[in-house]
Amino acid sequence: MLIKPSINVLVVENDIGMMQKCRELLLNEGHWVRTAESVEEAVDIIQRQPSEADIILLSLELPMGGSMTLIETLQKARREPLIMGISEDCGEEALEAMEAGAYDCIRRNFTEAGFWVKMNRALETHRLRRQLGVLKRERQDALTKSKVHHDENILTILNSLTDALVVTDWQTNLVLFNRVAGRLFELNKNEVLGKPVSECIPSDELLSFLIRAVKMDSSLATLMAGEEPVITIGERTLQVHVDPVVSDAGTVIGAVALCHDVTTVEAMDKLRSDFLSMVSHELKAPLSSLLMQISVVNDGMAGELTEKQSELLSKAKEKAKGMITLVNDLLDYRRIQEGKSIQKIESLDLREILERTIELMRLSAEDKQIELTTEIMEDLPLFSGDRGGIQAIFVNLISNAIKYTPSGGAVRVTLTMAGKDIRFKVVDNGMGIAPEDLDRIFEKFYRIKTEQTKSIAGSGLGLSIVKGIVDAHNGTIHVESQPGEGTTFIVSLPTQE
Amino acid sequence: MKKIALVDDDVDFSEATKLLLQSKGYEVVLAHDGKEGLDMIRSERPDLIILDVMMPEMNGYDVCVVLKEDEALKDIPVILLTAVDQAFFRTTYSKHMGLMTEADEYIAKPVASEDLVACVESFMREA
Repeated sequence: MLIKPSINVLVVENDIGMMQKCRELLLNEGHWVRTAESVEEAVDIIQRQPSEADIILLSLELPMGGSMTLIETLQKARREPLIMGISEDCGEEALEAMEAGAYDCIRRNFTEAGFWVKMNRALETHRLRRQLGVLKRERQDALTKSKVHHDENILTILNSLTDALVVTDWQTNLVLFNRVAGRLFELNKNEVLGKPVSECIPSDELLSFLIRAVKMDSSLATLMAGEEPVITIGERTLQVHVDPVVSDAGTVIGAVALCHDVTTVEAMDKLRSDFLSMVSHELKAPLSSLLMQISVVNDGMAGELTEKQSELLSKAKEKAKGMITLVNDLLDYRRIQEGKSIQKIESLDLREILERTIELMRLSAEDKQIELTTEIMEDLPLFSGDRGGIQAIFVNLISNAIKYTPSGGAVRVTLTMAGKDIRFKVVDNGMGIAPEDLDRIFEKFYRIKTEQTKSIAGSGLGLSIVKGIVDAHNGTIHVESQPGEGTTFIVSLPTQE
Repeated sequence: MKKIALVDDDVDFSEATKLLLQSKGYEVVLAHDGKEGLDMIRSERPDLIILDVMMPEMNGYDVCVVLKEDEALKDIPVILLTAVDQAFFRTTYSKHMGLMTEADEYIAKPVASEDLVACVESFMREA
């Protein structure tokens, strides 16, 4: 019946007949059996025997509540044996015993077959628990051992790091940290080693990353690379990189966190950002005066103008507008770099935004005698996005198409649904883009230099801004082009569920 | 004739804008800082107020707060006008954020002359 290796069973039973019966059954199958008639005797055996019992067959009807005492003692001592109760009717006392930690219970009037069904199940469970225990200990040992045998040199090296290093075992107990970590998190070696990291470092975020790392399948470990979240502890801002510690055998035995203090970098960023904002204000304010003055003079509000004067002022106005666009582009670009390309999410009617954009563009298209046509689908669903961002996508792509299409050409704008995506498409029959430039047009400041484009003004930021905004909305942008035949830009924006 | 109060420390911009609005048939009165602007608005009782945000003495937001708390003045529409970057607002002037809604219109500088006129006219029609 049993093909498994023999096991150690301790029978604790004051009914000698029952004890003998169990003993015989087990011995017949080649198992080791020891017996005890009382709790005291059982405890004595458990403590004395070097090899622990695998299973304890325990009468639940020992005098003076002895059965429960034994179960509780074993539980408290975190001993391994599985406890199988023996009771008259497996009633209340069996439930109580199982609640306290017993595995199962058999009736005194058991049949041989019934006895083995329950015993085999208990054995299987015991075997699995033991394997798990071995695995646990292996993992525990691996890092604890290394803690004991720290190589002095390695510690010196770790202490020389300018970043904080924290290592935990697989249960996220702190096992090692370097000098910078000690200073940063105010850790005292004698107090914190071996303690749960949650008690030592006050950051739920860090803890969650560590837990994620130790729970990770070692084969997935590389997936974490490149992910460097920023957390705040007290007044410090840290960029953390958490990796699982994987043993030679391939099991995750802990986690290592490297924390780079970016507090000053952040402060510098803020400073730079504020500085740029100030500069842009200082640039825009005089430009807006300039533009207003030119407009007023050119529109004849300060006296009649000759045709020549008016022509010169119109050119000056265009130049001033170009500079304003440049300042705005620089600001947009900075915002995207800072991850602020989405300022505010709201439900948008893209049809309305596009129609308004087209109205603005119509004039410059007419100036160049370019036929600007649109096809906008009825009943487009509302889109959750940033109004300014979406406008910037429309304006940049349409004005580019107009800019890079010679007089007499055509620009066609469509807004439709493609599956669950809203698709915005701008098709022109302009000068097109050479294949070698096609890959680079989304790079910042990249401008295609040809005889045809040299007279066209631009910052080289427009498309990188568009790309940044499309990315921020989880969309894609795609371009197709044939030099001399035209260019098509396709933006797909996923509608959220 | 409808009267517009323009409060902006940029004299060049103010003068040009004054010409623009006069040509559209409005009377325009000017002030060049927040305090002066507030005094002028109290004495002139304009039909519309255009306020720059970044000004010495008292900025446009603070002027707006005072106006909107004054029973006699709170119904005069206010257009806030500024070249300050929006993102910068949100950090530096965050305490004023609630006031964004208090102004009746918000226009970013530089503004095209025809847009400013269109905005002014929409308020004047309502009045």
